[in-house]
Amino acid sequence: MHNVWLIARREYVERVRTRGFLITTVMIPLIMGALLFGSAFVSSKSEPGTHIAIVSSDPQLALDLQSELQQEQETRPRSAKQPQFTVDAMDIEPQSAQATQAILDQELDSGDLDGYLWIAPAPTPAPTPAKAQSDRPTFAFTPRSSEQNTLRSQLAAALGTVLMREQLAHRGIVASDADTMLQPVDILTAHAPDRDDRESAEVSITLLFVLMYMVIALYGMNVARSIIEEKTSRIFEVMLATIRPEEMMAGKILGVGSVGITQVGIWLTAALLLSASSIAANLGGQGIHVALTAAQIVYFFVYFILGYAFYSSIAAALGAMTNSEHELQQLNLFLVLPLVVCFVTLKSILTYPDSTMARVLALIPPFTPLLMYLRVSLGHPSHWTVFASIALTSASIYAIVWVSSRIYRVGVLMYGKRPSLPELLRWLKYS
Amino acid sequence: MPIVQLRNIRKVYDTKVAVDDLSFTIEPGTMFGLLGPNGSGKTSSIRMMIGITVPDSGSVSLFDQPFTRSALPRVGYLPEERGLYKKMNVLDQLVFLGQLHGLSASVASRRASLWCERLDIVEAIPKKTEDLSKGMQQKIQFIAALLHDPDLILMDEPFSGLDPVNSFLLMSTLVDLCSIGKAVLFSTHRMDQVEKFCNNIALIHRGRLVLSGSMREIKSIYPRNRVLIHFEGDDSFLNHPSIEHVKRYNGTVEIKLRPSATLAEDAQSLLAQAIAHARVSRFEVMEPTLEEIFIEKVQETSPVRNGHDNGHDLSMAQLDQPSKGGLDA
Repeated sequence: MHNVWLIARREYVERVRTRGFLITTVMIPLIMGALLFGSAFVSSKSEPGTHIAIVSSDPQLALDLQSELQQEQETRPRSAKQPQFTVDAMDIEPQSAQATQAILDQELDSGDLDGYLWIAPAPTPAPTPAKAQSDRPTFAFTPRSSEQNTLRSQLAAALGTVLMREQLAHRGIVASDADTMLQPVDILTAHAPDRDDRESAEVSITLLFVLMYMVIALYGMNVARSIIEEKTSRIFEVMLATIRPEEMMAGKILGVGSVGITQVGIWLTAALLLSASSIAANLGGQGIHVALTAAQIVYFFVYFILGYAFYSSIAAALGAMTNSEHELQQLNLFLVLPLVVCFVTLKSILTYPDSTMARVLALIPPFTPLLMYLRVSLGHPSHWTVFASIALTSASIYAIVWVSSRIYRVGVLMYGKRPSLPELLRWLKYS
Repeated sequence: MPIVQLRNIRKVYDTKVAVDDLSFTIEPGTMFGLLGPNGSGKTSSIRMMIGITVPDSGSVSLFDQPFTRSALPRVGYLPEERGLYKKMNVLDQLVFLGQLHGLSASVASRRASLWCERLDIVEAIPKKTEDLSKGMQQKIQFIAALLHDPDLILMDEPFSGLDPVNSFLLMSTLVDLCSIGKAVLFSTHRMDQVEKFCNNIALIHRGRLVLSGSMREIKSIYPRNRVLIHFEGDDSFLNHPSIEHVKRYNGTVEIKLRPSATLAEDAQSLLAQAIAHARVSRFEVMEPTLEEIFIEKVQETSPVRNGHDNGHDLSMAQLDQPSKGGLDA
């Protein structure tokens, strides 16, 4: 135990002293902060809005639609999903239709326009007064990219309102009455007051998730790298003359991990201090404040430590198997792939933390640290699930450490070619 | 009480027998030379003595006890491949390694300074290891192996890459340690170093013990049948009937005489003939060098040489000469 402590301490002291540690400690929050404030700033200030053109031979209709679209956004609270509208109402002569369309297409290509709505008048005034519907003009919407489905539905809604109002006016209903009738209904959610908190908690939890992801990947790789460094510098041979390979590996993982925890600790403390002061509020507007409960922070560290232990012991084995960073890069996949899977599912688990997928994935050890952390923070997993996740992960960490330390023991003394799978299995047997 | 006792140890790696049926003993106060060409199993044997690897069969005893890790603090090891933490300051590094061997930080630090003084590298103490010259790093490594005052000192190729002054400094340090009762084993492929300093040797070749015993015994087995002549002029005396074979260098010949009961007389007659034809500035009759003994032994054990024992190794490359080059009389 004493040896493990000596090795861990050396690893810790030497790492914390380096300029690299200082730089990442300062730079990563700066970069993350810059990204966050930057995106908040960009979306608040220069939100491009949506620029559409309405082409119609009926100027009244075009104008009504324009005012409907623009008015709608004023009455509703702005959120990211509703872009601002700039609407050009265009009146065209039927003869120049083709020319107009050409110009619009060109603007579409150049990006000046996000789409245009072509309103063609009803074929001809119906010879027999048939149903009112046949009077309807045809609407053709040409968006710039097919992703603009929301735009399309917004347009449809606005058009519906406008046409409805027209019809109502037609039947002699006063405009103000029509407005009341068309007033959209607001449904209040029961948890309405929590909503803000929940949203900002989501932001903070996502940040912590990204942090955990980064630190685990970074420090896992650091473990592998420092083992390779010791292999190339051959220092381990001196060490192995007094201590066991297991002690060396344990010391290394603990030492490097403590550096990671120190770094995360510094960041979290700084973040909490910052959010407690008013600086953050002034800088970020309403968008960013850290809303974390103590439990969320405790769980963060619990799952962070589990995740780090899991991935760094895999990394230790990878490091022991390889002879250079280059070779390590090739095996990197084993380390990064599960982490990436977690990252990919982030969004859906964030939205539905208690879905079946979330429940299943969060119990699979490689994903547990990151995903169970999300569930614990945002969803409502039962106590036994939390317990089971920790127990399962701990058990698999034990298994991985067992395998890794055997690979390590043989691997650190092997130079030359990378072992093949059967060789690896043999290593497990004879140590 | 033997410090090290190897009994019939054998180690096989996947495709290669590294050490085969090797046995020897090292007594306290001995300077023990472990000799052999590169790849002959020196490093594998040393690693098995300190439990870095475990023999497949056979047994290792340290300090008269079957091997356990608890004996390791009494062993100092300098591996063949030098390794130090590059970014670490020299003193921190020595203290760290000392602590791993069970010293307290303060004792380790005090001894580190003393050793640096003794090996004349005081100026290196505050520096980072990567800023030191290779020779200095090697001295640091040397100190790291000795810091905890081990009773058994194992040095794998301790002098490779050192200049003569520093080799001598380290060698005499080892001799001093030996004289106060420590057992020193060092491996090398440089036979000349061994001849000068070792009391006991073990020659190994392809993992097998070829020859072992005390230096004096070994030498006394062999007849004084080697003649070294420095000369100028006519070399026709090399046709002398008692000459078995000649290696010829610039102005020098190394002669091996035919086995006979009258070697001393043969040498005298050779000298007379040489003087008659050429101007001789040196004439010496010797026993074979360790190198020659070694090559003879290797040829006995494996008559077909396949040139497997590579050519990095200068003195071993010379050994190949009799069969490949040279001038056969």
